[in-house]
This record gives sequence, structure tokens and C-alpha cells, in this order.
Amino acid sequence: MSSPEDVLRLKQLKETEPIQEAWDQWVSTREALRETSTLLEDPELRSMAAEDYTMLTESLTEIVKTKFPAILVPPSRTAHLSALMELKSGVGGSEASLFLGEMLRMYLRLAQVSRWKANIVASSDLDTGGMRDAVVEFKGAGAYEALQWESGVHRVQRVPATEQSGRVHTSTVAVVVLPLVEESDAQKEELYSMDDIKIEVMRARGAGGQHVNKTESAVRLTHIPSGVTVAMQDERSQHQNKRRAFQVLASRLLEAKLAREMEARRASRRNLVKSADRSDKIRTYNYAQERVTDHRIGLSLMNLSSVMEGDGLQDFVAALQRDHEESQMEDMLLEE
Amino acid sequence: MFLARLSARLGKRQAALEYQWMKRASSPVPLDQMVARRVAGEPLQYILEEQPFGPLSIKLRPPVLIPRPETEHWTIRLAELLRPTRTLSVLDLGTGTGCIPLLLCHLLPAGTVRACGIDVSLDAVNLAAENAALCGFSFPGTSRNTFRPIQASFLDPLFPHKILDVNPPFDVLTSNPPYISWSEYLELSPEVTQYEDPKALFGGPDGLDFYHAIASLVARKGFLNPGAVVAVEVGDGQAEDVQDIFHCTAHLNSELWLDPWNKKRTVVARTPARSRS
Repeated sequence: MSSPEDVLRLKQLKETEPIQEAWDQWVSTREALRETSTLLEDPELRSMAAEDYTMLTESLTEIVKTKFPAILVPPSRTAHLSALMELKSGVGGSEASLFLGEMLRMYLRLAQVSRWKANIVASSDLDTGGMRDAVVEFKGAGAYEALQWESGVHRVQRVPATEQSGRVHTSTVAVVVLPLVEESDAQKEELYSMDDIKIEVMRARGAGGQHVNKTESAVRLTHIPSGVTVAMQDERSQHQNKRRAFQVLASRLLEAKLAREMEARRASRRNLVKSADRSDKIRTYNYAQERVTDHRIGLSLMNLSSVMEGDGLQDFVAALQRDHEESQMEDMLLEE
Repeated sequence: MFLARLSARLGKRQAALEYQWMKRASSPVPLDQMVARRVAGEPLQYILEEQPFGPLSIKLRPPVLIPRPETEHWTIRLAELLRPTRTLSVLDLGTGTGCIPLLLCHLLPAGTVRACGIDVSLDAVNLAAENAALCGFSFPGTSRNTFRPIQASFLDPLFPHKILDVNPPFDVLTSNPPYISWSEYLELSPEVTQYEDPKALFGGPDGLDFYHAIASLVARKGFLNPGAVVAVEVGDGQAEDVQDIFHCTAHLNSELWLDPWNKKRTVVARTPARSRS
């Protein structure tokens, strides 16, 4: 029979397996390199040995550069999560709303390429085209990890289709990406207790019941301990709005929990890292120059159309993920 | 342009929501016609021909009463209260679209609900039968929940004896009977009175006629099983009167459930459990 201590030890052992594997690979590659270098003296085998020598040196460098550091990065807790994205038009009026519609299309394309199931949960379309805001869920493993870096203010610089004088306008769209919590996850993560939630219906209905047949389905939830409120009115029944609202609430609470955990890890390393603010401008889409620049990593792509079609966006997503992993590694290395 | 026309009638916020819903609707009715009908005062639910009720989609057709959010709320709560361990025989009086028994069929475990709905209106009975089929509860059989609407008047003193197929005793009695009084009826908005069936709304001079009828059925020997649950929706300000009616006529004490707007909306009573003798 295994005692709790045994279980713990086994778990530790299991977790160190990748370290052992990497070390074994390093040792055997180094041994092979040592053997090969003696053959370099041999006139007959020399050219063959030289080839092997180059290959083995490359493998060693590869192990040092990527394999070892990767072990340092703690396994992700969010790898399996789907994402909930909220887009809100900012400065720029109807032009911002038009661009929001184009951004939404960009993310839907990315979802298609990435095989996530995208579903527009809520949107307020405008008569003049585009939409004032939208909420989209992206279902599929890895959606949150990939999209979380899209949170922030996106800026577009272009001559609006509606502009007569050809003047360049600057407009913004704010994006917030939250981890999407399934009902089963919400319980596992113990995000809230029902006793802490105040459920309110939003507008007065007079006598209500048979006296009134107006559609009145808006619902607001308040999580009392954190003060987080979620209002939902896009569905036609209270029941549906309540379900949606609970889902968004769980997403917000999980995001807050993940942020707290990250802060706690950083604080323990006495390392002050500037956390990204949602009001920070993160990316600029400049139509005149066909350029998209991500201000956090200083990456510019001179192919705006490809970004808006979703393909170029993948390059940004990959670069931001790499950047995150690197900064995580740096954090680890700063630890004593 | 559509949005502006809707806003003029409904206010900006409500217009924006309803416009979305019309655009998303799967109905074959063209958008401009939907907007025109809405601007003329027709209830949105009739235009979209459908209303969500809990997780169900209930098909709608005038003049059958549109399911209300208050009813959705208490029906879900009733399902949570019932937790059946055996098959329950359910009777819904004034069933309309059939939304109450259908939601119970949906929320409770398969094979635990055998429901029957009574309505005096043939329009309602036909629509309820369509809804039973659409929701998958129209097939008789012991392994599934079933709902069967029947045309009859439960104000008839002979109800249910002369009708085949309504078989007391019942374990659950639900009703959202007409409860609007004569004076209130005159004050209702035209969206209600011009489109919804007065037979589903008007509850007699004081709005209480149907509660007297229900209470006398409940009082009748052998109509309900011991430990049966009675849940009836009431109008604003009627809760205590209806409690009195159940107390005087059927000797039942009842509790009151609030709706999401904090109005006393549902009177809930339980018949005494079987005495040990």
C-alpha cells in the first residue's frame, strides 16, 4: 500500500522526469561528440566525421538554448481553457465601430484556422455598419493562451470610408480576453458560492404577469465579496441571460484569480514587473503604410491585409507567446 | 431607418435589442414586415412566433397567451421542489401554449412526468399539442415524460367526470389561470388586449373566479393524492385573497413565492400526507 508520503514522492519523481530525459540526452550527445572529434584525426573518416561533428554541435546548442530553459517554465494552468472576448469601440465614433466589425472578422478567421469554435454571444450592430460592441466565445483548447495577449487597446489609423476630405483618422477598439469557464470548471475552481451572489432583474414591470407582455429579460449579477457585476440582456429569456451572466462572472473571477496567483509568484521573487494595463495601447493598424505594429514587443509586420485575414495575426500571437515564455524564464532565473 | 422607427415606439434601448432579435430570427417573414408589425403594436413574441421558456423554445401564435418571465421563474423553482422518485401525474389548468407542463417534462428526470393540460380554447389546445411534439413529449410510453392537452372547461361543474382521459388523482396541480379583474382589464395596454385572448386574461369581476373553481376541485375527494403539490400563479395584490380561498374552500395552508421583481406571484400548497391508519 502506498502512503500519502509515497504518493507525494511519486508525484515529485514524475515531475522531474523531463529533467532526467533532457540530462540523459545532453550526456549522450556530448559523449557522441567526444567520440566523433577523435575520428577527425582519421584521414579516411575525416569528411564523414566532420559532418557528424557539425550536426552534434547543433543538437547540443539546441538543448542548451531551448530544452533546458523550457524545463524551467512551470506547466501552464490555462492550456486547456477556451476564451471569451469582449470588444468595445473607443474613440472615433462610427469609424471605431466599423473597425470593430473588421477586427471581429479577423478573430473569426483566426478561429477558423486554429480550429476553435467561435460563437458571437452578444453584439450591438449599428445601422451605419459595424458594431458598437461584441462578445464572442472561442471554444477549443489553447484559445485562451493564444488570445489572452490581445487584451488592450487596438488603434487604427486610416482614412474612413465615410470621410470626404481624405483626412486620416485615429480610432480605437478596446479588447478584453477572459478565460471561458465551463460550468464544471467553475465548481472545480471554487470561484464563488451562490450565497455571495445577488441576482437582480433590471427594469420595473408594473403589475407584471398577465398584465404585461413586454419582453423583459435583462439580468444583473453582483458578486458581493469582489464587487464584480455582470449585466446581460442580449437573450430573450431571463433564464438564458442568467446562464450567460453566470458564465461571464465565472470568467471574470477566474481571470482575477489567475492574475492574483501571478502577482503572488512575482512578489515572492521581489521582482517588480509592470503588469499590462487594459488601458494601454498595445497595437497600431496603419492602413496608409500597410503596417501593423505591436508596441509591447516592438514587432512590425508590413502586411496589414494578411493580418486582417487572420494569417498575419498568427505571427503576432506566436511572437507574443514566445515573449511571454521568455519573460517567465527570466523571472525563474532571477529567483535565487 | 428600421432602428429609428422602432426607437420612436419602444425607446432606444429596447429598440436596439428587439432589432437584433428580429435580425437573428429564423422566421421567413421579411425584416421590413417585422418592423412594421412591431411599430403597429403587435407583441414581439407573436412576430418571432416563438418564445424561450427556460431552456425550451415555445412556439407561439395569436391569440394564445404569451408565456411570461414570472411563470418561467416559478416553474423552474417548482421543478427544483418536486425531485420525483416515481412517476407524477401532473394537471395544468388553462395550459395555453403548454409551457408549464412542458418545462416540467424537460427539467424532471425521464419517465417521472405524465402531464395533462386543460384549456377551453381550441387554438390553445392545438398549439400546445404542436409544442408537445416539438419538445419531444408527445409520445406515450413509460420511459419518457409526456404531455397531453385536452379541450375542456374546468369551470364546468361536471369537470372532469364527463371527459375521458382526465384521470384523478393527481400529484401536482399547476395553473396560471386568467386573473385580471374587470376594472384592470380596461386599463391594460393595447399590446395585450388587442392581441392576446381575453379568455386567457379576464378572471371575472374581481379576477378571482378561477381560483374558486380550482379550490373546489382541490377540495374534491380523490382529486389529488395525499402529499400533492398545488402551485397557482396570481396577479399583483391577489396573493392573500387566493390563500384565503384555498384555506376556506380546501382547508389548505399555503406559502407565497416572490417573482424576480419581488411581487407575491405564486401560491403553493401541499395536501396532507397520507395518515398512518
